[in-house]
Amino acid sequence: MTQDRFTGVGVGLRRPHLEQVAQLQDHGVPFWETCPENVVGDGGRQHRLACAILDRDPVLTHGLTISVGGFDAWDEEYLRDLGEFLVRTGTPWHSEHLCFTSVDANCLHELLPLPFTREAVRHTIARARELQSRLPVPLLLENITYYAELGAPEMDEADFITAVLEGADVGWLLDVNNVYVNALNFGFDPKEWLSGMPLDRVAQLHIAGHKKFGDLTVDTHGAEVIDPVIDLMQWTLARLGRPVPVLLERDNHIPDLDVLLAERARIQHAYDAALVMTGVRHG
Amino acid sequence: MASLVLDADEAALEADPGRVARRHGLSGADQQSFREQAPAMLTYRELARMSLIEPLETMFPVLKALLEEVGAWAPCVQAFLDARLLRSGHYRDIAPTFLGWLAASSWGQDRWPFLLELAHAEILEVLVARFPDSDPPEGLHAEPGPADLVVLDGATQIVSYSHAVHRVTEAAPIPEARPTHLVAFRNEEGEAQLLELTPATAALLVQARTRPLAEAAASLNLPDLDAILNLLRDLRRDGAIAGFQTPT
Repeated sequence: MTQDRFTGVGVGLRRPHLEQVAQLQDHGVPFWETCPENVVGDGGRQHRLACAILDRDPVLTHGLTISVGGFDAWDEEYLRDLGEFLVRTGTPWHSEHLCFTSVDANCLHELLPLPFTREAVRHTIARARELQSRLPVPLLLENITYYAELGAPEMDEADFITAVLEGADVGWLLDVNNVYVNALNFGFDPKEWLSGMPLDRVAQLHIAGHKKFGDLTVDTHGAEVIDPVIDLMQWTLARLGRPVPVLLERDNHIPDLDVLLAERARIQHAYDAALVMTGVRHG
Repeated sequence: MASLVLDADEAALEADPGRVARRHGLSGADQQSFREQAPAMLTYRELARMSLIEPLETMFPVLKALLEEVGAWAPCVQAFLDARLLRSGHYRDIAPTFLGWLAASSWGQDRWPFLLELAHAEILEVLVARFPDSDPPEGLHAEPGPADLVVLDGATQIVSYSHAVHRVTEAAPIPEARPTHLVAFRNEEGEAQLLELTPATAALLVQARTRPLAEAAASLNLPDLDAILNLLRDLRRDGAIAGFQTPT
């Protein structure tokens, strides 16, 4: 599923950086990732800048609120606009989270975990297949961090994710930071966990920072990526043996662009090193 | 889950999350699971509520300062969450939805008659700055004439408040009771601009959208048509007016 032009380490395109990024022709970022919810239906200067960048540079799209595992009806108008947006950007795929975000038509703007039950697997597979049939590009689902199991589980997270990805026959946006955070919170070995997963479905990786609040580690996207997460990214790339694109996420405490680009360069260095070690050519 | 996040009753969740699960019809095993994970359930509640409340705190700092002084901000936000109006998947829609709820519910407006105006003024420039882009109607011309209609840019808003709510600050959040007329528009760069208008100019801009300029000016007792045309040229140059249209 990975397309050749999408390799290396990209960056999430965020409003505070739009002015600068629009001016920079030679920024060194191989691709940007954008959230359609933040662009579709917007207007004004920031919107124009975002569109100019998305028209100029390679883009991957990543949704936030479609609520793949939920029960609410699809927002038909948004799905139509999303489809047009995906075509316009030329993204090779579109990713959503393996979670639910709305209940009784209330959008909670939070990635909420699905119960690890057979019923939830069946329901989510049906929803993901239906969503896929409505999109003009392949759908990827991303594993989330979770802090509680909603209800009594019938399987573990790994089996749940595998069953949904295979049942829906969709690709996997593997967030290695989310695996790392879940491993800290639930006490498992992230590499052992990944070893049992369907890595052949991985089309893209996410990497980000997190923060500890008391006993709980939270996926904040608000800090620099720590070395153990970079190590997990390298380990994953080696296991994949393919140069899938990695996206650096930063949504909170967003630093100046030069700081973020320096962090991207650091992760790109680690990315390149991992591929050299495994003899994979890219770029 | 919506109740877990949106409802006010945190005490019940802290005391016994299993009971909360039972109240919502979940099975015994699920109730037990909720009970065992009480701290994590509270974390979810806090994270989700933070996501919903943060944009209100960011977009309405003066309103928050005004209400917090008397302990009314949290009840106001809770009343909004209770209304279950957060339907949009666009994060940017949370603040306008809150504004719509204030208008529909009249919350707090007995005590603070300027509350809705204040909230509107706080997000007016953002609403204008982010108004969806659209092409202007065809056949507009740049030079206004006495027989023309005014066509505002799609993002432009002309507002009239009974209080000077655009002058308030977090330190001094109570506005002066003074009729205030504003035009908010996007300049050529797409940035929001705010201009205070005289009552007559505001009325002219409203009336001249549906009746010829000279006729609108006469009805408002504005004798100096040249001065009006100059002002309209300036507003077109600045971006508030898309152009002028001669009725057929």
